[in-house]
Amino acid sequence: MHQDLYDVAIIGCGPAGLQAAIHAASKKAEVIVFGRARKSGLYKAHIANFCCYERPISGKDLLQAGRKQAESFDAAFVEEDVIETKNENNLFSLVTESGNTFTSRTLILCLGVTRKKLRVKGEKELVGRGVSYCVDCDANFYRGLDVAVVGNESAAAIGAVTLLSYAKTVYLICRELTITDTLYEKLKNSNVKIIKDTWVKEVIGTNEVEGVLLKNGEALKVNGIFVERGAKSALELAANLGVLFDTETVSFIEINKKQETNIPGLYAAGDITGQPWQIAKAVGEGCVAGIEAAEYAKKLAGD
Amino acid sequence: MGQGVLDVDDNNFESEILKADKPALVDFWAPWCGPCKAIGPAIKELEETYGNSIVFARCNVDNSPNTPTQYSIRAIPTLILFQDGKVVDQVVGAVPKSHLEELVKKVL
Ligand SMILES: Cc1cc2nc3c(=O)[nH]c(=O)nc-3n(C[C@H](O)[C@H](O)[C@H](O)COP(=O)(O)OP(=O)(O)OC[C@H]3O[C@@H](n4cnc5c(N)ncnc54)[C@H](O)[C@@H]3O)c2cc1C
Repeated sequence: MHQDLYDVAIIGCGPAGLQAAIHAASKKAEVIVFGRARKSGLYKAHIANFCCYERPISGKDLLQAGRKQAESFDAAFVEEDVIETKNENNLFSLVTESGNTFTSRTLILCLGVTRKKLRVKGEKELVGRGVSYCVDCDANFYRGLDVAVVGNESAAAIGAVTLLSYAKTVYLICRELTITDTLYEKLKNSNVKIIKDTWVKEVIGTNEVEGVLLKNGEALKVNGIFVERGAKSALELAANLGVLFDTETVSFIEINKKQETNIPGLYAAGDITGQPWQIAKAVGEGCVAGIEAAEYAKKLAGD
Repeated sequence: MGQGVLDVDDNNFESEILKADKPALVDFWAPWCGPCKAIGPAIKELEETYGNSIVFARCNVDNSPNTPTQYSIRAIPTLILFQDGKVVDQVVGAVPKSHLEELVKKVL
């Protein structure tokens, strides 16, 4: 299964990513898919409006069936988040949360959409004055200070480790971590102070962040709080590559009818390209992206 | 249509922004910051529409450490609107173009 160079790498294993994998792999492309099914918008949904299924079907069942189907065409799966993307010499390289690097001729972004905000008291008021949503962007402003990161997944864990190079004290506030064992070991052996089984109740401060109040009653004195829910988002993984977002909302990746972004070899499909947020649209776009990426990779390989 | 987005730094911030004869919108950014890149096109479009009445500028926080500190910047992108050398308002993060447009309209 492990090989040096893939034709098509897909970030996201919701309906868009699965359909892209099925179509690309059935065209005999070497396909690798990243992500966790549990984090798909579909995982907890019951679907009654997807063509050809008259009775409500469980999203979880659909995801399991889709994965088996993609595997039957020889697509490979890695149940990890991607934390870094690069585009050099016509190749995409991806680093996963365990620190492994994968290289591919093409890349399809099927990241879905996630809620980033905490929606707690004090958060909105102190954005940019201690509340941040991007460790990679803002770590440098917290040199020598005390900070907390909040989140349960790879973005929070990686973010906390990154912040150790800047901040004096780094807390990680989480309910329960969903990360790989390798990343967990790295975190455990670092100086990050992990506070488990709780969550942020309130961000405290008048002109700037002075601390956070936790649900377990504990209060931490910090100068900054980094909200890093879920995995790294398209703004972190794709904007870096120069991918254009829609200017109206700056939330969705701009694509054409072939699901191509403005970067050659880079495609996007599903919720991440905009509404309607529906399976039917996700699989439709995934199908096109899978076929286009497989053909593009073949052309590159032939050159 | 204005002059394009002007690059400013610690050295010319006072002359180009604080002493400008027009209001100025300054985008504090860095080249490695994804969200900063993502709002670049929206700022360019606004410059094309409002560039005659407002100076659109950007300040790379990597190369100019003093100005961001002076304005207590702790997150990028941060966009600050100046008029007569004073801060009128500011927004933080990769916000929709309409938010930026509302900001700009405060000094029109
Ligand atoms: C409660 C609920 C009910 C819904 N009901 C319906 C319905 O009735 N009908 C309907 O059509 N649609 C419904 N939807 C919407 C539907 O679930 C989505 O439109 C669909 O899941 C979008 O598919 P996607 O593949 O684009 O994204 P998702 O299914 O959200 O998948 C995103 C994938 O990306 C992965 N990912 C994200 N970031 C990273 C990263 N950095 N590295 C690796 N992997 C990453 C995640 O792990 C996940 O696997 C519902 C959604 C919800 C939440």
